[in-house]
Amino acid sequence: MRILLVEDDDLIARGIQAGLHARGLMVDGVRTAAQAEAMLSAVHYQVVILDLGLPDEDGMSLLQRWRADGMALPMLVLTARDAVEDRVAGLRAGADDYLLKPFDLDELVARLHALLRRAAGRSVATIEQGALRLDPERGEVSLNGRPVVLSRRELALLAALLHARGRILSVDQLKDSLYGFSEEIESNALNVHIHHLRRKLGADLIETVRGVGYRFNMVNA
Amino acid sequence: MSLRLRLLLMIGISLSLLWGGVAVWMLRDLDDEMRRTLDQRLAMSARMVAGLISQNPAAWDTRRGTAGVSTLTVPATAKGLACQVSSLRGEVFARTPGAASAAIASTTPGFAEREIDGEHWRSYTVEAHGLRITTADRLAERNTLLRDVMAAAIVPFVVALIGSLMMLWIGVRSGLVPLERLRQALARRAPDALTPIPDAPMPRELQPLVETLNQLLERMRVAISRERRFTSDAAHELRTPLTALKTHLQVARITHGQDAETALDYAEEGASRLQHTLQQLLTLAQVEGPFSWDEAQRTYTDEVACLAMRDAAPDAPERVVLESDEPSVELALPQALAVTALRNLLDNALRHAPAQHSVKLKIQSAHDTVCFRVCDSGPGLTTDELTRVTQRFWRRDAGRGSGLGLAIVVAVTERCGGSLALAQRPTGGLEASLTLPRAKRESPPVS
Repeated sequence: MRILLVEDDDLIARGIQAGLHARGLMVDGVRTAAQAEAMLSAVHYQVVILDLGLPDEDGMSLLQRWRADGMALPMLVLTARDAVEDRVAGLRAGADDYLLKPFDLDELVARLHALLRRAAGRSVATIEQGALRLDPERGEVSLNGRPVVLSRRELALLAALLHARGRILSVDQLKDSLYGFSEEIESNALNVHIHHLRRKLGADLIETVRGVGYRFNMVNA
Repeated sequence: MSLRLRLLLMIGISLSLLWGGVAVWMLRDLDDEMRRTLDQRLAMSARMVAGLISQNPAAWDTRRGTAGVSTLTVPATAKGLACQVSSLRGEVFARTPGAASAAIASTTPGFAEREIDGEHWRSYTVEAHGLRITTADRLAERNTLLRDVMAAAIVPFVVALIGSLMMLWIGVRSGLVPLERLRQALARRAPDALTPIPDAPMPRELQPLVETLNQLLERMRVAISRERRFTSDAAHELRTPLTALKTHLQVARITHGQDAETALDYAEEGASRLQHTLQQLLTLAQVEGPFSWDEAQRTYTDEVACLAMRDAAPDAPERVVLESDEPSVELALPQALAVTALRNLLDNALRHAPAQHSVKLKIQSAHDTVCFRVCDSGPGLTTDELTRVTQRFWRRDAGRGSGLGLAIVVAVTERCGGSLALAQRPTGGLEASLTLPRAKRESPPVS
């Protein structure tokens, strides 16, 4: 899962990034609305965390503009304004969730996963596909009831493929959900991770669609 | 006591007393007049009888001298009236019937009153042509007549009085309706409602009251919304560093090694930001609030400059260059306030000046003011930023400063009567001029 964090306070942004990273989530941090728009057009994100007090544009109007433009990404709004009318206005403007500063890191992670789950149309925390079972929040995978140990990248890759539910994901899309913006990516890194996943979970679980990308094989799972 | 009751009582009692007094006065006059009129009629009837007798004195003369003359009985004309004709010696020639007549004969001319068989009579006696004529009427009849007349006068009077009291009640009631409406409008309001009272048509007397109330409500509304805004801003400003602190502490707990160390360092940075914001908020509350400062200690420009420079750059004192060749003068404000204001200006200048660049502090005394000029070589401020820079919690960059520094400087100048001017320097950077009043008592600085 790849997250865009729009937060103008450097210290808070660093904290959230470090915390989410430690919880196995990929986060890119930007400080202004303009940077956020540039990132959104370049990278495939699954969730946006938006602070309302941005230096170049009010977060609320940015949110409205994005929603008016038809952007459907789940949005979690972070704010230090606790008045009820502020919260209501945030939700009306198109936020999917609302978290008041100061917040609990675990709560933020749980809410992000819940947002993703809802966006994928699921109502339970775990994703089950045949004998495969994934709990994205805890990072636990089991096959036929036996736990399988996956690295962070493998976990992210599996989660992205499962979220897509059989849709083909391009190599770029998969890379976006695996690596942060500033991370160096080796050319065959994705292939290596796919290879590891196939070795641990079965060779026919992930299907290669030549020239397009990869997809999760729903039939064989 | 309600206004209506008070009005009713005041007007009602005075109306009743006045009209009651007038009534008593009038009735007493009426009583006297009636008695005098009845007396006059009594006397006139006696004289009329005497006049009639004088027409034919011979008729009475023949009877005079004859002993044991029979008394001529005159038929009674009305009840309660009596008349008697007698000689001066007391022989009765004629009289109206009834036992009383004998007794009413008076020997002295003029009015007299006496009691006969338990009844009071008033009589009038006149002597003419050797005869004594007495007329009398019973007081009981007179009193009945008087009572009737009084009643005829009093009943309409009482009716009029009651009527006017009722009119008074209705009038006061309807006259106070707008006041009552206002009372109800005020009673219906929620205790914390600050919307103006509706502009219903009001009598002229109430308009100033409603206007004053509305002005008061408006002032309160503005003050409360300003306070709310400030509280909300302050909460926001405190939450931001608190969030950084809490997040990094949580990160430190779930990470290890270098990552945890870094998180703890950041948490400490968050804590010091929180501390700084809290300190600035407290300073602002103190400067604006009714706190008293130590006024006994005299404030001198050189001490203020020295303390402010030490506070602003404790680690790099060489970054502030003091340019002043004037003798130190005394300022008319507590030292702590002057130092706080100047330190905030120096803080800002040092924060925005490029590293290794120094900040200039010039002190210039005028006749009754002293001007502290702080010049930096930073990026300065745009025209738009210059207008907003003294607003509370405004800052150019998130996370840098509390956003309260200049607000505190402005609060200090407002408290002591100084001023703050910010201007872009032609050579780049910002020049902040803090003008503070000089002390009136002129004395040499303590060396």
